[in-house]
Amino acid sequence: MGYFDVPEIDYTRYSNRQLAAVPLAVLAVALAILGGWYVFTGAPVGLGIEFAGGTELTVDTATDEADIPDAFDEEVSIQSVQTEDNRYILQFTSTDDEALRDQANDNLESLEDADEDEDGVVVSGSSTSASFGAQTQQTALYGVAIAFVGMSVFAFILFRTFVPSLAIVVSAFSDIVIPIAFMNIVGIPLSIGTVAALLLLIGYSVDSDILLNNSILRRSGDFYESTYRAMRTGVTMTVTSMAAMLVMAISATLFGVGLLADIGLILFVGLAADLMNTYMLNLSLLRWYKFDGVSR
Amino acid sequence: MGLRDFVKAYWRIILLVVFVGVALVALFIPGGIFADDSIAGDGTAAAQNGTVENGTENGTGTAATVETDQGWTNLVYGLSLDGGTRVSAPVVGMTAEGLEIDPSRETEVTRTLRDELDLDRENVLLRQDAQSRTYTAEVFSENVSQAEFAGALQAAGVDATEDDVRPGVTQATRDEMIRTIESKINEAGLSGGRVSQADIGGEYYIVTEVPDWTPQQLRDQLSDRGIVEVVAHYPGENGTQVNETVLEQGDFGRVSPPEYNSERDSYEVPVTVVGGGQENGGPATEFQQRMNDLGFTTEGVGQCNYGNPNAEGESYCLLTVVNGEVVDSHSMGIDLANSMRAEQWDEDPRFTMGAQTQQEAQSLSINLRAGSLTAPLDFENDQSFTIQPALADQFKVYSLLIGIISVIAVSGVVYLRYADGRVAAPMIITALAEVVILLGFAAAIRMPLGLPEVAGFIAVVGTGVDDLIIIADEVMSEGDVNSRRVFESRFRKAFWVIGAAAGTTIIALSPLAVLNLGDLQGFAIITILGVLIGVLITRPAYGDILRYLLTDR
Repeated sequence: MGYFDVPEIDYTRYSNRQLAAVPLAVLAVALAILGGWYVFTGAPVGLGIEFAGGTELTVDTATDEADIPDAFDEEVSIQSVQTEDNRYILQFTSTDDEALRDQANDNLESLEDADEDEDGVVVSGSSTSASFGAQTQQTALYGVAIAFVGMSVFAFILFRTFVPSLAIVVSAFSDIVIPIAFMNIVGIPLSIGTVAALLLLIGYSVDSDILLNNSILRRSGDFYESTYRAMRTGVTMTVTSMAAMLVMAISATLFGVGLLADIGLILFVGLAADLMNTYMLNLSLLRWYKFDGVSR
Repeated sequence: MGLRDFVKAYWRIILLVVFVGVALVALFIPGGIFADDSIAGDGTAAAQNGTVENGTENGTGTAATVETDQGWTNLVYGLSLDGGTRVSAPVVGMTAEGLEIDPSRETEVTRTLRDELDLDRENVLLRQDAQSRTYTAEVFSENVSQAEFAGALQAAGVDATEDDVRPGVTQATRDEMIRTIESKINEAGLSGGRVSQADIGGEYYIVTEVPDWTPQQLRDQLSDRGIVEVVAHYPGENGTQVNETVLEQGDFGRVSPPEYNSERDSYEVPVTVVGGGQENGGPATEFQQRMNDLGFTTEGVGQCNYGNPNAEGESYCLLTVVNGEVVDSHSMGIDLANSMRAEQWDEDPRFTMGAQTQQEAQSLSINLRAGSLTAPLDFENDQSFTIQPALADQFKVYSLLIGIISVIAVSGVVYLRYADGRVAAPMIITALAEVVILLGFAAAIRMPLGLPEVAGFIAVVGTGVDDLIIIADEVMSEGDVNSRRVFESRFRKAFWVIGAAAGTTIIALSPLAVLNLGDLQGFAIITILGVLIGVLITRPAYGDILRYLLTDR
């Protein structure tokens, strides 16, 4: 039924070790990236201006993109907005938003149809002081930690057995670490939006793990039959969410709505990692538990 | 089938329809479910932290100032979708609590602290706790260290060490500041302003949102402590001039709007002084007495030549001082002098305060009405966000488009997977019903919607469809559903997974709903509410719809 169906994988061909090796290797690489980042930059992830402090201005200007840096005394990073000609998102490490705003208004040409008595070329701006950013960082760290611990405890309460609960916790951990490493590689800094995405990922990614554990542990039937039943549902779920998030990431990027773009992209990557973690790592742990672990 | 059986069989669907209906009313009927704005709450960062938003004395709380005219829906938009400026700044100051001070020494201790730390009157504050009878001392200055504060307390004979001093100010001070800022922005004619406090990483920030102004304009307005005094500037001994504060903030009663005085080509703010005509002499009587004693009403009439070196030792001026700076100098007029000399002025104590420009007069008037800020804000360590209404409007459209595109993407995948309209169509409709109910809820409680909330809505559609897929697969597994009993049993099994999944999502997002992380509180609240509505209302209803479509009744 359907135009696509979830393929049935012949898990008997692979040993538990083989199955677990791939996701564990990917997790190790991801952790190595974070470690390397920490050694070289002092933080495991690149921090966005909301955490590190800095200023972001969105400007509507007739000035060419190439000439924008000349308008400012500060180093500037420029991102153009696809759906809106002449709109640019500028980021600075300085927190003196008033000086930057003045420089923008003085040195950037306003659009012809712009309203003269409006506030000039700057249509939106945000500025975060370093201390405010540091405090936000701490809050974000607490938030992710509390969420993760809470989820882990909940998983243990749900299944009340060590190995299957641990499988959920390990794969959720990997689901968070892989997208963070991905962010480092492609150069997306950690922002409020990406933290939200990571937390949502904890909630989302555990769904398919719970489904798999439930199907194998609490339901009758042969191991592989149960696995396939859970996979059909779980993969559909994850792929649907991935589709939604990818589309959201692309459209929000085109429209220049950074928050939604960040959330979409991180969830897409995290859910892809979750497919691997659930049906390779979690599954191998469960199979070991079911066939070897219980009898001990 | 009788009505009772019908209700019994389809109560979940009926419940869904009722909820959607109520939500639509809340969304589209002008006035919504609660026509009276007074019950409106505020779902922003404020709500969690015990703010005093609605506790303003003059009824200018958030509820009353939220704009209710929002076009064709009852939705209230947050800053990122409505335009405006927000500045979050910590308060300058430190506090020592639980101090044992004899109430009779209160003034003496305050004076010692002021002298020891070399601070102005407004930067030292002693409060007595009504219950424990102990005192709390606060100092509002960046130039005083905790050790210096403790030392000054000891010098004043108070038993306190450096460990008793903590950075930050008291809740009472923050509450006063929030009230003052609220009335300041209301007095400045900005409706729709919101003021609250937020605990970010253990430090309290005062968060001010206004629909207009650039961040700098807002900072200027907020960095104005608004401390207004009238200072008598009169000749002392040996050709010098002496300054003496004769009227303070608390001495002013009714404040009238600024007026233009064409004779002097300057602006005036007419005020009344409180405590006139009392038996034992209120501020007005004291002021009158002091003016007579200092000679303002006799040789000083019309003799103001402020700032002129040649007039040194001869000038009689009444200075309007705001935040320690002289904004205007005035001489005593003959009419005022006469009525003061006759000791009749205090029966109707009217007085005008001068200002050079209309803007100064305006801000003087605002400061007089709103009162002064108890402590200054630290704008070195602030965070600001601003967005023009035009861009915010574009974001509204974009959000809607992104939402619609995401729903289409989800629908597409679901249809491709099942290729059965009977399964897929109700899935999409149910997920949309969830969004409608949630929107209705947001409109009913007047929760301001910004971009983070939009992300929450999209997250809700995502989790919602996930759960519907679980239900559909479970119900249709192991062959056709041919009896109600089989259906119910499978549905219950599916529901265990859904409940567990909902639990994890709620646990994962609950820290965000409580912590102040950017604007994410709204995102977390919307997502958690959506998951709850989904588990309790829409997902069971989807099960009923599927049963109706799939079983041979």
